[in-house]
Amino acid sequence: MAMTRLARWAARSPAPVFAAIGPGRQAETERLLARPGLRRAATPRDAAILLVAGDLPGDTAEALSHVHDQLPHPRATLRWQADAPDAIAARIETAWRDICAGERDEDDHLPDEPPNAWKGIGPHGQGGKGMMGGTPYGRPMAMTGTDIRDGLRLDRYTARFGPFLPMLPPGLVLQVTLQGDVICDLDVQAPPLAQAADADAPDLCAARMLRLLGLDRAAHRVMHGQSARALWLRGAVPKRIGRIDGTSARDRLIAWLAGDTVSVAPPDLPALLHGAEWAEAMLILASLPPSALIRAARGVEAA
Amino acid sequence: MTALLTLAVLATLLGGTLFAVALDRAYLPLLALFTRQRVETEAPDRLNRDLAPAWYLALAAIGIAVVPFAPDLALIDSPVGIVIWGSCEALIVLTVFLHGWSPNAPFPLIGAYRYAAIGLPVMLPSMFVLIAAALPAESLSLVAIVDSQREVWNVIRQPLGLPLFMVVALAMTLRGPMDYADAADIATGTSAEDSGAGRAVWQIARLAMLVSVSAIAATVFLGGPLGPVLPGPVWLWLKTGALMALTVWIGNRVARTTPSRMLTILWVVLLPLSFLHLLISGLIAL
Repeated sequence: MAMTRLARWAARSPAPVFAAIGPGRQAETERLLARPGLRRAATPRDAAILLVAGDLPGDTAEALSHVHDQLPHPRATLRWQADAPDAIAARIETAWRDICAGERDEDDHLPDEPPNAWKGIGPHGQGGKGMMGGTPYGRPMAMTGTDIRDGLRLDRYTARFGPFLPMLPPGLVLQVTLQGDVICDLDVQAPPLAQAADADAPDLCAARMLRLLGLDRAAHRVMHGQSARALWLRGAVPKRIGRIDGTSARDRLIAWLAGDTVSVAPPDLPALLHGAEWAEAMLILASLPPSALIRAARGVEAA
Repeated sequence: MTALLTLAVLATLLGGTLFAVALDRAYLPLLALFTRQRVETEAPDRLNRDLAPAWYLALAAIGIAVVPFAPDLALIDSPVGIVIWGSCEALIVLTVFLHGWSPNAPFPLIGAYRYAAIGLPVMLPSMFVLIAAALPAESLSLVAIVDSQREVWNVIRQPLGLPLFMVVALAMTLRGPMDYADAADIATGTSAEDSGAGRAVWQIARLAMLVSVSAIAATVFLGGPLGPVLPGPVWLWLKTGALMALTVWIGNRVARTTPSRMLTILWVVLLPLSFLHLLISGLIAL
């Protein structure tokens, strides 16, 4: 098929990739996505290629199908098993060119329908009381509840987040009840997938925090061994958040930027995140080395 | 003359937007978006989904229409030009909120509410800074504000004005340290469900707004079209381009703190600072 001029230009842009990261593949995948010619998509809607790195556990299959179906057409799924980074990067670029040429696409894995039968009351299935609450199509709607900060009765919204959200550690599934931005309830439903020690590398850990601070370019530079060259880096991380045995999230960022590996005792995740705002909670999670996170969530499960 | 000016305004907006895309190195990714499917979320607010980028673009166009291209020459030479821009700023907050509201999804909605919370305390210093710039001109007209800078630019007369206005510019263009609507911790927030052409148009509108807000800043603080040798419009373009580059540079270099911390900074530091700025500017203008 002859490519239109627009498609040819599109094919020359970096391939937008959304990664579903399996056990032991976090470091490799993060380094892969920092290559020129590839672009890390922050949401599946912005991606054309779903990269499945490693062997995902069976209980994540449904979540992976949901992510897959969220990618706009045309799209492709690439499974990354034993290829060298150069080989998989080449495969991604070939797939992106085929997508742009309209030669490659995949159908939905799941039927495009609500996850549950209609269970609401009222013309829009809203259920609940008046305009609030209820579980239309099995999705609980926000309902007022006591605020954990000042006792105001504000909407509580409960949802499951993970296992492939790019700002959460791969595999971690959290059920979170939010009032606005504030986490007022938190349950760890699946622990992060086990990662090798290379995921604790200072540059990768620093880059994860820098991306949350809106410093994508600085994250890139740090991963390529340069200095971050950013302003207000330390000051932007609130001083008091993420305190575990004497070090805070800010201290750990400073250590990582200096090139030091950080090890912390496995923290009590629900206690650490309860009452934090969403933005703070994501910074706290990114400020924990993957090894500590995995042990922490395992501890919660065992208890 | 009006037709010529309309053309000049539109050409400036278009050329400026192309320059903004280059500053962001976003040409190819933006083009690629037009080849992608536009996915529809479940039960979206279709009207507002389609209108939000259109409003954003329209506000950018209105903003640049009040900017004088030569001393005494603006497409909309309003006696209250600066108030027109002020209302554009307020409507941007609504537009970004609608953009987050319309997909009917959690992350966009969180981004929308965050931006509304940040938008108000950003708006207030902006008004004080703009009113301070109107004091030496004794007029709310942008033509008169340009005229009042013949001897000395406002950036020198009111040194706090431009830095404070840069904070506003970053917030209005959803950029770097003030990008609370489309932040990374909520998977690009109000844009999280955007794909294809819809995503591209929102990004283009955001870049067009960078042109307008920079042109306003160039007019209010850098004397707009005033300058030796070169004709007025060229000076305006040069100053606008420089401010656009500065905004992009700050956006790429300065870290974004958490929303609650930024709210504290805005209410406790920047708002009193802008009060002080207005007071000093008023005393000097007396």
